[in-house]
Amino acid sequence: MSILQYNGGAVIAMKGLNCVGICSDLRLGLQQQTVAMNFKKVFQITDKLYVGLTGLATDVLSLEHLLNFRCKLYKLKENREISPKAFGAMLSSLLYEKRFGPWFSEPVVCGLDANNNAFLSGMDLIGAPVFSDDFTVAGTCTQNLHGMCEALYRPNMDPEELFEVLSQCLLSAVDRDALSGWGAVVHIITPEGTITRTLKCRQD
Amino acid sequence: MMQYNQQKVNALPIWTSEGNVDLPLSDVSLDGPITTPYERRFNPYDFNGGTTVCIAGNDFAIAAGCTRMSTGYQILSRNQSKLLNLSNKTVIAAAGCQSDITVLNKTLQARYLQYESQSQKIMSTEAAAQLLSVTLYYRRFFPYYAFCMIAGLDENGVGAVFGYDAVGSFKRDQYGVMGSGQNFIMPFLDNLIGHKNRLDEKKVLTVEEAISIVKTAFIVATERDIHTGDSVEINII
Repeated sequence: MSILQYNGGAVIAMKGLNCVGICSDLRLGLQQQTVAMNFKKVFQITDKLYVGLTGLATDVLSLEHLLNFRCKLYKLKENREISPKAFGAMLSSLLYEKRFGPWFSEPVVCGLDANNNAFLSGMDLIGAPVFSDDFTVAGTCTQNLHGMCEALYRPNMDPEELFEVLSQCLLSAVDRDALSGWGAVVHIITPEGTITRTLKCRQD
Repeated sequence: MMQYNQQKVNALPIWTSEGNVDLPLSDVSLDGPITTPYERRFNPYDFNGGTTVCIAGNDFAIAAGCTRMSTGYQILSRNQSKLLNLSNKTVIAAAGCQSDITVLNKTLQARYLQYESQSQKIMSTEAAAQLLSVTLYYRRFFPYYAFCMIAGLDENGVGAVFGYDAVGSFKRDQYGVMGSGQNFIMPFLDNLIGHKNRLDEKKVLTVEEAISIVKTAFIVATERDIHTGDSVEINII
């Protein structure tokens, strides 16, 4: 089994009309055995910037720690919050620093910049970024997630519709993957604020 | 005491039908009088790609397959059918190795003709399902590289879909997907036809809705899967 599939997990980020959404499942496992059902993989960096980290759980936590530290330092130096684009670039170079002994994690960056324009970016484990206009997925069941998002996505959804589509995509896709599931958490980021909901799904 | 020569290599270059590969040294012991034999091998299977989808309704069944046949990263044909009309009530859809599928189809057609002439009736879908299962298991130790599905109307006129693995174990379902686009399409059908993770009321599926679901499913798979594309052949029973 690949090292990126040791702990399992799935993350989707999707763009809507003046909003973005990001969601992840809640399972933490050791290959086949499930160890925790409350392991969130999406972390808040600023009010309007979230990052989802899939892959090896220890690297997910280490990277989250490192990113929080770097963003706080950025805020002290520049006296403003980091923008999603700059954050993406920083994460990309952090991952590439470890090119020959990488962080085993594939992140998804999702946020609204200062003008409330959406920013979505996915990366591989050594930092190569892809900027999307519609959705980005990462995790152990990327094929399932891609299929679902491709089928259900439409442009310019409002926050409620975005929530429904994100939830259906994630839940249906992880139900076909043994290593992901056990509930989901969805964040919808709008200019007015963020709405977070936790979903219960098939507990197997 | 005799000293044996120890070959200092990191990996052995081995030729296979996919090209040169390196046999890792951990699998091989080369020093001493006992050495692990290694051999050039011919891989009898090839994956020709493609996706097939089958859906069963209350009084209809749909079998669909994309028409692309590929090997590796190359396209061999844009117009190769994956569906076999066994009778006017049963269609067999198979993805995998095209040569194995062709032989399997011919075997089934021959057995079908024998059945029809001996028992003087059209083979029912359930009987065809059992026949396919037995045919596949016959080759348990050198399987047909064919991932099959049967779509048809059962004895009561209700739609039926049977899904198989490569050695013949089968089960009746309401829908199924096989092939390279399986992971992309399966959760989509779970959501729409299986009505999973949904709280609204389940409605009866009509033929038009099912056809439009099949078309959407193939668009999804074509966008993201390199082995699926060109055109889609849909058989409605």
